Amino acid sequence: MVATSSEAPALELRGIVKRFPGVLANDHIDLAVAPGEIRALLGENGAGKTTLMRVLYGLYPPDDGEILLDGKAQRFRSPTDAIHAGIGMVHQHFMLFPSLTVAENVVYGREPQRWGLLDRTAAARQVAELAERYGLQVDPAARVADLPVGSRQRVEILKTLYRDARVLILDEPTAVLTPQERQGLFQILRELASQGKTVIFITHKLQEVMDLADHATVLRGGMVEATVAVADSSPEALCRHMVGRDLLPQLAKVPQATGESLLAVNNLVVLDNTGRRIVDQVSFEVRAGEIVGLAGVAGNGQSELVAAIAGLRSPAAGRILLNQDDVTATSIAARRQAGLAYIPEDRNRVGLALAASVADNLILTGRHNPTLTQRGVLSQAGIERYTTDLVERFDIKIASVREAVDHLSGGNRQKVVTARELAQEPLVLIAEQPTQGVDVGAAESIHHNLLAVRDQGRAVLLSSAESSEILALCDRILVMFEGRIVGELLAEELANDPAAEATIGLLAAGGEV
Amino acid sequence: MNELANLFDAALLSSTMRFATPLLLAALGGLICERAGIFNIALEGLMLTGAFAAVAGSYYAGVLGGVGAAVVAGAALAALYAGFVVGLRSDEIVVGIALNLLASGLTVFLLRALFGVKGAFQDPRIEGLGSVRLPLIEAIPIVGPLLSGHSWLVYAALMLVAIVWVVLFHHPLGLRLRGVGEQPDAAATLGVNTRRVQAAALIVSGMLCGLAGAQLSLGSVTLFVEGMSAGRGWIAVVAVLLGRAHPVGVAVACLVFGFTDSLGFRLQGRDIPSQLTEMLPYVVTLIGLAIINSRRAQQKGLQP
Amino acid sequence: MSTHRATQDGSSSSQLTQRLRPLAAPLLAVLGALVLGALLMLVTGHDPLAAYRAMFEGALGGRKLANLMATLARATPIVGMGLAITIALRGGYLNLGGEGQLVLGGLTSALVALYLPLPGWLLLPVSLVGGAVAGAAWALLATGLDRVFRVPLLIGTLLLNYPARYLASYLVNHPLRDVASGMSQTHRVPEGVELAYLVPGTRLHVGALMVLALVLVATWVVRRTRVGYELRMTGLNPDFARYGGINTVRLGFGTMAISGSIAGLVGAMEVLGTHHRFIDNALTAPLYAWTGLMAALLAGSSPLGVLAAGLFFAAVHTGGFGMERGAQVPRELSRVLQALMILLIAARSRLLTPTHRDAPAEKASSS
Repeated sequence: MVATSSEAPALELRGIVKRFPGVLANDHIDLAVAPGEIRALLGENGAGKTTLMRVLYGLYPPDDGEILLDGKAQRFRSPTDAIHAGIGMVHQHFMLFPSLTVAENVVYGREPQRWGLLDRTAAARQVAELAERYGLQVDPAARVADLPVGSRQRVEILKTLYRDARVLILDEPTAVLTPQERQGLFQILRELASQGKTVIFITHKLQEVMDLADHATVLRGGMVEATVAVADSSPEALCRHMVGRDLLPQLAKVPQATGESLLAVNNLVVLDNTGRRIVDQVSFEVRAGEIVGLAGVAGNGQSELVAAIAGLRSPAAGRILLNQDDVTATSIAARRQAGLAYIPEDRNRVGLALAASVADNLILTGRHNPTLTQRGVLSQAGIERYTTDLVERFDIKIASVREAVDHLSGGNRQKVVTARELAQEPLVLIAEQPTQGVDVGAAESIHHNLLAVRDQGRAVLLSSAESSEILALCDRILVMFEGRIVGELLAEELANDPAAEATIGLLAAGGEV
Repeated sequence: MNELANLFDAALLSSTMRFATPLLLAALGGLICERAGIFNIALEGLMLTGAFAAVAGSYYAGVLGGVGAAVVAGAALAALYAGFVVGLRSDEIVVGIALNLLASGLTVFLLRALFGVKGAFQDPRIEGLGSVRLPLIEAIPIVGPLLSGHSWLVYAALMLVAIVWVVLFHHPLGLRLRGVGEQPDAAATLGVNTRRVQAAALIVSGMLCGLAGAQLSLGSVTLFVEGMSAGRGWIAVVAVLLGRAHPVGVAVACLVFGFTDSLGFRLQGRDIPSQLTEMLPYVVTLIGLAIINSRRAQQKGLQP
Repeated sequence: MSTHRATQDGSSSSQLTQRLRPLAAPLLAVLGALVLGALLMLVTGHDPLAAYRAMFEGALGGRKLANLMATLARATPIVGMGLAITIALRGGYLNLGGEGQLVLGGLTSALVALYLPLPGWLLLPVSLVGGAVAGAAWALLATGLDRVFRVPLLIGTLLLNYPARYLASYLVNHPLRDVASGMSQTHRVPEGVELAYLVPGTRLHVGALMVLALVLVATWVVRRTRVGYELRMTGLNPDFARYGGINTVRLGFGTMAISGSIAGLVGAMEVLGTHHRFIDNALTAPLYAWTGLMAALLAGSSPLGVLAAGLFFAAVHTGGFGMERGAQVPRELSRVLQALMILLIAARSRLLTPTHRDAPAEKASSS
C-alpha cells in the first residue's frame, strides 16, 4: 500500500528536536506515515532512531516540534499518554513478566474483572480473540518464561493490540529472531497493516526494508536524510543514504602465515540452567597470527562457549588448551597467567567497576607486575606511569586517571577495557561484541587494536553479532547454530563476494550452503 | 512416654498459636513487600514501634485506641521507609537497619519521656486484647484448644493469610503488585505507577507489623518491655524467605517457629536453663533456612 | 549517550572542595539529626539548647577532662567494632553479627585467662588471640552458611548473634559462674592478664592504642596493598573482580575472618581492660556492636572515617549522661540522635553495590 497525498497521515511529526548534553540527537525531524502503511526507519547506530521513537512514545519530552495523530496535536507526558492516544511500542528488550501467563501479561494494568476479582477466563478469551483476529499464534495460558523468543514478541504485539494501538512501533524487532520467526513476524505485520494499523519498524538491515516496508525514512546524524518509496529504491541506494558515501573499503589486512595453535577447544560441552546442551561438542583452534570469528544469531551458544574458555563457566565435558596446556579445570587467574585476555560482552557489569577510577580499572590484569606491586604493596608511581601510558597509547579521552569510569562514554569505557586486556600482551585475546554501542571512532580504533594483536603473531577469537565486523576482520569464520559449529568459512574465499553476509546469515539460521 | 505426652499437650498447641501470631502478621507484611520487589528488613523495628504504640494507646484510650495507635505508628514509620527507599531510592538495607535502631532508641526514649519508667512499663490502665472463646469448636479435642481462647488478633491473622492470598493471586491489585516486583520497567510502560505500588506495599506492611506489635504487648501480656520484639522481626524476615513469599508457605513457617518458641517455653519449666531454650528458635531458623536454601540451589542447578 | 568531560579544572580551590566533599554528607546528616532531636525535645517539653549544651559538656568537659576520658574509653570498643564492620563492608559483605563475635571473643579471652595453665607473661597475648580466634570462628560460621548452604550473609550473621549471647549468658549463669560474687559473671582474671590503664583513675586502657593502630594498619592495607585493591574491587563489583582472576571466595572467607577477629579482639580488650571478668550483658547492653555498625555506615566504609564517627558517637553517648544530669532529658535521646544520623546519611548513599543483590537491568546505551 502506498500513501497518497489526499489521505491524512495516521502519524505526523513536525520539526522534532531533542538535545542531550553535547549532542543534538534529533534535529528538526519531519515524518508522515499513512494509515495502513509499513514504514522502515533506517540509520546507523547513533543516527537518532531510538531517541525519535522514545520521544514519540512519551519517554522523552521533545525540546521542540509537535506530534500529530490523525491530524490532532498530541502532548505525551508519559508512555501512558502515548498508549491512550493509540501508540504501541515493542521494545528491543522485551518488557514482559516471565512468571506470569500470556493472558496476564497482556491484560496487565487493564484487567477484566468479575465480582471485584481478576477474571482470568475473560482475559484468556479476549487474548485468544485478538490473536485469532490478527493471526498471532500463542497460548493465553502459557507462562511467558516457557515461551521461545518469537512467541514472546507476539505477546508484546498482543499487548499493544489489547490497548487498541493504531500505530505500532517495533525497535529492531528481528535482532533476536530466527529466520523462520522473522518470516512469521513479517506476515503478522503485513496482516496488521492490511487491517489498517500503521507500522513503524526500526532497523539497520537493508534486506528487511526491501522485503517488508512501503517507504523507508533514513536518518543520519539526527536529521532526515531521505524518505523513499522502497519499490523505487535499492539496497545500495539506501546504504548510500545511511552512510553518506559508498561502502567502506576493506580494512587493510595483510595475509599472514599462521603459526602454532594457541587456543584449542576439543569436544566442549556446556550446559545451561535447565541441563540442556547450550554448547554441544564444539571443537576448533585458533593459531598464532589469525583472527577467528564466531558468528551466529544471539543465543546459539556463543556467549556460553566464550564464558567457558574464559573460565567464568565450567564445561560439562571436553577440553580447553591454551598454548598447548590443558586449562580446562584451572582458575581464571591461572588462565590469565598463561596468557589469556578477555573483552567481555557486558562491559558495564563485568568488564568494569564503574564506581572505581580509570586507574583502578586499568591495573586489574597487571596487578601482579613488579612495576605495579612489590611484595604485595602497590607502587603509586608505577601505577601512575603504567596507567597514563595506557591512556595515551589507546587514546582514552579523560581528564585524569583518577576520574571514575562511570563518567566516561561507551566508547571510552570500551577503550579502557581493551587497553587493560592488551596491556599484558596476551597470547590469546577473546573479544566479545567489542564494538557494541560504541561510537564509530572508538570502533575503528578497537578494530585496529585487534588486527595489531594478530599481526604481532598472537591469536584473537572474535565473537560478534555484526557479520560486517566479522567479515572485515577475520581470517576464518565459525558459524554457530544451536550450540554447534555448522560452518567454517575462509576469509579469502569470501573476499569480494557480495553474498558473503547472506551466506553467514543462512548458516546462522540453520540453513545449508 | 508419659513424660512426652505431658510435654505435647493441648496447652502447647494453644501457646503455639500465641507465639506464631506476631510472627505471622509481620511476615505477611514482609511477604507483600517482597512481592513488590522490596526487601523489608525493618520488620523488627516496625513491630517494636507497634508494641510500644499499642501500650501507649491502650493506656490513654483503651484497647481499641491501642490497636489503632499501633497500626498508625507502624504505617507512619513504614511511610518514612517508603519515602527513603521508594522516593529517594536509598539503599533499603541501610535504611532498614537505621529504622530498626531508631525504633529501639525512640521507644526507650518515649518510655521515659512519657511514662517516666525504664526497662518495662506495666499499669492497670493498660487494657489487654482479652480472649475470644469459640463455643462449638472449643469442645473438639486438639483443634479446640488450638483454636479457641485467643485474642481476636490471632483470628484476624489467620483470616489475613486468606485475604492476602486472594488479593495477591485473584485481584488486579495483586497482579500489578507482582508485576512491579518482577519487572518494574515493564509495569511502568503499561501505565502502572510502580513507586506508588511499592510505597503502598510498605505502608501496608507497616500496618501489619503494628498489629503484630499489638499482639505482642497486649495479647497474652499487657506491658511493654524495652526491645520486646527480641529478634522476632528477623525471624519473620526468614519466614518470608522460607515460605517463598507465598502466604500458605509463610504461615506454615511461622507456625513451626511458634511451635519451637512454645516448646522452648515449656522446656524452661523443666529445669532446662532458659538461656538454652531461648536459643532454640534461632538455631531452628538457621538450620531450616540452610536445609531449604541449599536444596533449592541444587534443584535450580537442574531445572529453572 | 554521555560525553566525556572535556574540561579540567585543576585549581587548588576545586581540589580542596573535592577533598572536603566526602565530609559534606555526614556533616549535613549530623546537623539534620540535631534539628530533629531538638524538635523531639520541644514536643516532649524539654529545652533543646540547654540539653545540647549539657551534652557537649558531658562529652568533652568535666574535672580534669574526666568526661573526655570517658568518651575516649567508650570510643575504644565502638571504633573497634566499626572497623570490624568496615573491613567487611569494603568487600561488599554486610556483617551484622558483630555482637555475637564480640561476646564470644570476650568470653573466650576470659576463659583463657582463667583456666589456661600458662605463664603469666604469655597469658595476656594468648588470651587476646583467643578472643580474636573465637570472633573469627563465629564470623566464618556465617560465611560458610552463606557459601555452602546459601543462607544470606546478612541473615546468617544476624541470627547467630542470639545463640552466642544466650550461650555466654548460660555459661556465666551456670557452670562458670562466680557464685560468691552473687552476680552473673565469671571469676576475676589474674592480675597480670589485665590490660594496663593509660590514664590512672579513668577507664581508658591500652586497648585504645591497639584500636588506633588497627585503624591505621587497615587504612594502609586498603589503600596501598594489592589485597586491599582486590578487596575494594570486589566490593565495588564482584563480577568484575572474579573476571579479573580475583579469588572472591577465598577473599570473602579471609575478609570475614578478619572482621570477626577484630570484633572478638574488641571483646577480649573490654574484658581484660575494663571489666577484668566476663559479665553477663556487659558487652551487649551498651550496644557497642550496633553503634560500631552505625559508625561504619556513617563513615561510608573508610577506616579513618570510622575513627572519626566512632569518637563522635561515643561523645554523643557520654554526652547523653551529661544531658540527663544537666537538663533532665532522658539520655536515651542519644540513641535516637544516632539512628537519625544514619537514616539521613542513608538517604543519599548506596553502600552496597547493587550487583550483590539482584540488580536492575542496565539500559543499553545505544542511540
